[in-house]
Amino acid sequence: MTVKLFSAALAATSLIAAPSVAQINEQPALGEPVSFTVPDNRSFTLDNGLEVTFIQYGLAPTTQISLRVRAGNIDDGSQTYISDLTASMMEEGSNGRTAEDIATEIASMGGELGVGVGWHSTNFGVNVLSQYAPDAMGIVADVVMRPNFDEAEFDRVRQNMVRDVSVSRAQPGPIATEAYRRLLFGGGHPYGNSLPTEEQVRGYELADVQAFYDGNFGAGRTRLYVAGRFDEAAMEAAIREAFSDWASGSADALTPAAPRGGPVVQFIDRPGAPQSTLRVGFPAVGVDHPDAPDLAVMNALLGGSFTSRLTRNLREDKGYTYSPGSGVTWGMGGGYWTFNADVNTEVTGAALMETFGEITRLSENAPDAVEADGIRTWMSGIFILQNASTGGIIGQLNFRDLYDLPDDYLENYVPSLNAVTNDDISRVASTYLDLDNVVLVVVGDLAVIEEQVRALPELANARFILPAPTDAEH
Amino acid sequence: MTIRKSLVLALGSLALAACQSATDSSEQAANTNGADTSAASTSFTVDVSYHTLDNGLRVVLSEDHTVPTATVAVYYGVGFRNEPRGRTGFAHLFEHLMFQGSRNLPHGAFDTLIYGSGGVNNGSTRYDFTNYFEVVPSNALEAIIWAEADRMGQPNLDESQLDNQREVVRNEVFVNVINQPYGGWIWIDLPMVANENWHNAHNFYGDLTDLDAASLEDAQAFFDQFYAPNNAVIVVAGDIDKDETLGWIEQYFSYIEAGDPLPEIDTSEPRQEEEKFDYIEDNLANQPALAVGYHMPERGTPEYYAMILIDQLLVQGDDSRLTQSLVSEEGYASGVFGGINLLGNAFNYSGPMLWTVGLIHDSEFTVSEVMGTMDTTIEGIRTTPVTEAELERARTKLLSDFYGTVDTSTRFGLVDLLASFAMFDDDPSRINRITEGFEQVTPELVMSTAQEYLRPTNRTVLEVRLAGDDSQ
Repeated sequence: MTVKLFSAALAATSLIAAPSVAQINEQPALGEPVSFTVPDNRSFTLDNGLEVTFIQYGLAPTTQISLRVRAGNIDDGSQTYISDLTASMMEEGSNGRTAEDIATEIASMGGELGVGVGWHSTNFGVNVLSQYAPDAMGIVADVVMRPNFDEAEFDRVRQNMVRDVSVSRAQPGPIATEAYRRLLFGGGHPYGNSLPTEEQVRGYELADVQAFYDGNFGAGRTRLYVAGRFDEAAMEAAIREAFSDWASGSADALTPAAPRGGPVVQFIDRPGAPQSTLRVGFPAVGVDHPDAPDLAVMNALLGGSFTSRLTRNLREDKGYTYSPGSGVTWGMGGGYWTFNADVNTEVTGAALMETFGEITRLSENAPDAVEADGIRTWMSGIFILQNASTGGIIGQLNFRDLYDLPDDYLENYVPSLNAVTNDDISRVASTYLDLDNVVLVVVGDLAVIEEQVRALPELANARFILPAPTDAEH
Repeated sequence: MTIRKSLVLALGSLALAACQSATDSSEQAANTNGADTSAASTSFTVDVSYHTLDNGLRVVLSEDHTVPTATVAVYYGVGFRNEPRGRTGFAHLFEHLMFQGSRNLPHGAFDTLIYGSGGVNNGSTRYDFTNYFEVVPSNALEAIIWAEADRMGQPNLDESQLDNQREVVRNEVFVNVINQPYGGWIWIDLPMVANENWHNAHNFYGDLTDLDAASLEDAQAFFDQFYAPNNAVIVVAGDIDKDETLGWIEQYFSYIEAGDPLPEIDTSEPRQEEEKFDYIEDNLANQPALAVGYHMPERGTPEYYAMILIDQLLVQGDDSRLTQSLVSEEGYASGVFGGINLLGNAFNYSGPMLWTVGLIHDSEFTVSEVMGTMDTTIEGIRTTPVTEAELERARTKLLSDFYGTVDTSTRFGLVDLLASFAMFDDDPSRINRITEGFEQVTPELVMSTAQEYLRPTNRTVLEVRLAGDDSQ
């Protein structure tokens, strides 16, 4: 049954005939750049403090509801992931409905309840056919305001978290991120605790969940976004009916934490690993700092886009890695810049040398206009895409609202990028990406890579943290 | 944002997230005009026009001006089913080479053009096609069409680029499979066990020795065989003028000559008569896992449409029966995931396919316990007619998924459906009749389809065992 795929092709080694039309060898010019405006939206606030934003957007007759309560990991205190466990229990039923009742009702509307916890908020989302959107809003309100917190479900839900944490700790990415965040923030702030231990989770009780809920959920900490093609009057009426008697709740702290620098290197052993998982980072400023747009452009040029220097060098030139990338993470009290890559074990030292080299090169020399203009144009273009869906525009508006940025933040975003000069790009690289301050985590086969990394001159003054010795070594 | 040129574009988070999010593209079908949505305002029609150039290139255009961007996708009718023996993973490796330069766009220039105009691009390799797609602000459309023609007509296949991308692909396999727990279990290993025909049963990512052996001659032969305009579809959607766009496509693609007729490859699978069991030991995993794959009915048949609804009934969404029984009632796992064609959806393939279910479960539960619950749940579909209400709910979920697929900022889901219906059905306007097959599905057809296709003897069970665990 096999067919010889190559028989015909092997003979056809001649080059494709030269094109007959010269025009096909000349790149057509780009037309006038398109502009984009933020979709119209309107907001109002209920008496209890709940803030609502409506955005009419999209082609299809669907509506996305996104309710965000500022109760996230930043409120965990020492109980890492208690916010996640609370959210999981809130999915288990409300106001007499079971989880299955909720799932069935929302599925009949074409949707599914999604609950997720981030650093700063717990997010409840559904996307339904628009004619059902007011009814879906009523269910979301019940889920948020009247959770059952049924003891009968708790052991299973807690065990799910134990299992998920266990699976995360088998993956090099979460392992690296856990160590990296601990170096940046220490163990005294939730930003520094990206995973609980399994034992810690087993110790949580339903009373802890109830306490977290009581202390952190309320209308005064909630923003509700509705985007899609929907009847605004009917939706507003549904919202007022569902949420008006919700208590405001207690104010949130959003306790700030400033990341700390190095030089520090943490090794985590993964014997036999074919790749080393890298986190290379530096503390930076918050999104409300004047340097924020400069950092964003610098990041895109250095490692944050496919045409960035680090991607071209490490992937397209050297072949060391498949998916390198960098980004700025914003937090309360400061941000940080990180380069991530999974590199071939044998070239771990070489990949770090190239990474440090690119950082130094950008710190010392401003990029030329062609390269920098390309990056600014790219960022302006993808900003269109980032806003051009119901979920996208909700995310953008929520970012603005969460960090209390100016109302015209999105309108001014592209102009702010274009105001970043080529010298600014180099200046912020030099200011923030200071190798004397580097925080580095390497997860890999230490027997092969440790010496390669230690030999790098940029790390001559670094503090090295090795895996905890086993008992036998004491 | 830089994950690209990936074999696992849609699957990256699936295997470990252990949930079926609304954005998973493994199911997308529905009714744009269906009786199941009573409100008058609940349908919309996708604009579609379809043309074929003299050299055989099929062209699909779809105009809508809500976002000032244009999406371009070129689909070649070659996937890993077609790749040659001894060269496993070659279709995917070749996909990488198509980004490495062409006559007028030397190495890096293609990406620079797209990113520098404000867009993004990517490519992926699947069972029956390899695709290349980009979304750009619409002022760049003509240049992008020109660039896609340049690499179809005049690619630079270069030894040093082959060596470079061989290393990149090796790292891709490491990061997605070899250095990850549960890395390839459900989407690479399971089809290799379940299928009998080599074309469906080889390692799609490629044995590393085969990747090492791939030569420039292989690349040239593969290109000449498969990357011809008569084996391709181009879709352009978004903020475009259709006449002007068609003119550009004719202007830049027409000189490329049609290729020889494609080889005919028998990809058929025999009817499975015995249940298969296998296991893999995963040194990195710390919880056991279980995958089950059933051979699908042939694409386009009434049973196939019934199976798409069965997928919704059994595994898609929190309300699905397997989620309820395995996760909510028994607590074996945090979630159950799966679907038709884990590397795509129910529409973008042509040939044998699996319907798959998987879960990562606690060690304290045995495989036979988990399978017992799964069997009981699946037997319910095989022996008792579903209610009209439950079937209607499954159709509603499909409709909502369809809207979610076609109404996105990048339009990648939209162009994928248009390209698939052009490539495999020669009829992209099927996108506006996507519900017709589902409307015919009755509770009786669901049950008879389940009787034949959810037979235990039609399935393969693949366990992930922890290293050194021989207890089962």
